[in-house]
Amino acid sequence: MSEAAFQVPVGPQHPALKEAPENFTFTIDGETVFDVKARIGYNHRGIEKAAESRSYIQNLYLVERICGICSAAHITTYAQAVEEALKLEIPPRAKYIRTIIYELNRIASHYLWLGLAGHEIGFDTLFMYLWRDREIALNLLEQITGNRVTYAMPAIGGVRRDISPQMVENAKSGLSVLEERMKYYKKLCLNEPTVLKRAVGVGVLKPQDAIALCAVGPTLRASGIKSDVRADDPYLVYDEVPFNVVTYDGCDVASRVLVRCDETLVSIGIIKHALDHLPDGPIRVKAPRIVPPAEVVSRTEAPRGELIHYLRSNGTDKPERLKIRSPTLGNIPSICKSLIGGFVADIPIALASADPCFTCTDRMAFVNVSNGKRWVWTKEQLRRYSLKWYQQN
Amino acid sequence: MANTAQKPTEETVEIEENLKEKLGSKILELKVPRNRRIFVSVEKTAFREAVEYLTKNLEFKHISTITGRDAGEQTEVIYHLNRGGVELSLKVQVPSEEATLPTITDLIPGAVLYEQEVHDLLGVKFEGHPDLSPLILPDEWPAGVYPLKKEWTVEKIREKIASSEKR
Repeated sequence: MSEAAFQVPVGPQHPALKEAPENFTFTIDGETVFDVKARIGYNHRGIEKAAESRSYIQNLYLVERICGICSAAHITTYAQAVEEALKLEIPPRAKYIRTIIYELNRIASHYLWLGLAGHEIGFDTLFMYLWRDREIALNLLEQITGNRVTYAMPAIGGVRRDISPQMVENAKSGLSVLEERMKYYKKLCLNEPTVLKRAVGVGVLKPQDAIALCAVGPTLRASGIKSDVRADDPYLVYDEVPFNVVTYDGCDVASRVLVRCDETLVSIGIIKHALDHLPDGPIRVKAPRIVPPAEVVSRTEAPRGELIHYLRSNGTDKPERLKIRSPTLGNIPSICKSLIGGFVADIPIALASADPCFTCTDRMAFVNVSNGKRWVWTKEQLRRYSLKWYQQN
Repeated sequence: MANTAQKPTEETVEIEENLKEKLGSKILELKVPRNRRIFVSVEKTAFREAVEYLTKNLEFKHISTITGRDAGEQTEVIYHLNRGGVELSLKVQVPSEEATLPTITDLIPGAVLYEQEVHDLLGVKFEGHPDLSPLILPDEWPAGVYPLKKEWTVEKIREKIASSEKR
């Protein structure tokens, strides 16, 4: 193990959870974290480079595979960029359908994260329940798109499939269950001693640090900053749908849990509104394969925060440059900051609280300041240590 | 996109005018393709002044990312700065042979990893950056191979890695 140690596979190529190696080196003094250094790239797949040698249509499916959990986010952002470069207006119905898929994806993602947070703090019952209920969202997605994970809904110029009246009905009843369950989980998180003990006052990220370190998404909003691309820089139909930007000012893991609980409820509201106001008409327009020279910045609010794609076209059927910055990379400096001064036993949940696409498989190296001792733990060993430490203290 | 066709609102126009007034002839190109999107190119010599003005006076505190692009003899570095919903892309070109730029991490600490990434993939040196050690590339990556440069095709990179492993 080299001196620098924790590995984070983010950048544009962040894969989700278990398959993601990254390395952090923690400098600790006794039980307290002194310093953190992140090292990523262990799973860098060179997607930006690959995009330059593929056509715009092939790239739709390439970018969708950047992340399995928020696949709708990447493909939507990319399709939007290409359409803007083409100066192509997509039909209103397509915009509504894209919004519905995007928000269903957010629900599935937040349910997944809350379950994992439960797992990290040793509350596996919560994990089981949340992942059971997440199936409702995945079933709805499967019904509409034909897929549970990579939905492949946006095409350049619209969407690939329509939503039938029967699907609208099914979605509404499914959403009611998800809403009721999420309200229950929120109540539970506010009252359950295990959650409170492990989340309140843990992994503190002060608002001024969150701004300076350019945090994004729920991590930023849990530090009391009202910032959401959907509201600030509306895309799709977010300027037509009423919704709130959720913020909490606890600046800790508990706030990040609550932000995601409330955001799930907001997403349910958005989808219900969109289903009720679904306009009639075509779902797709024909798009040319050649994109004239242009420069576009496309931004959306992915489940983990601001997602940005920069596209430069050169008049061929392949991009000159496609730059992607996924939200996790934007949050790494803030995650590191929030760990400093905390307990070693709080590392798993504090790390997980930014919902990074990386908290699972890897090793952590520890350096003890007082005796210069160095050792390496896997994430699982650290999780066990953390649970044991909390049983004893 | 309905939003694409939107005319620039007052906020966007105001930023545009402030920039013109402050930087004047140092601006090489200024484009406002739609509401909340500004692209501005400056000379390398005026770059630091432009960033300082944007962050300190115009309140662009957030950086979304930094894009590096191989433009042949020049390497283009694009800073995607953000204020509320307005995304301003500040572009600057440096000669690829000697690609250096002053760091902006003193003004925006959140830019640390983005500068490191551009350094890894395109070899741009950011003077004053706290740590330009590899972030994305492996520690044993052959020196001088910058994967995002157009000359480095996937096949060429594979060959290079294979030959350096043999040694």
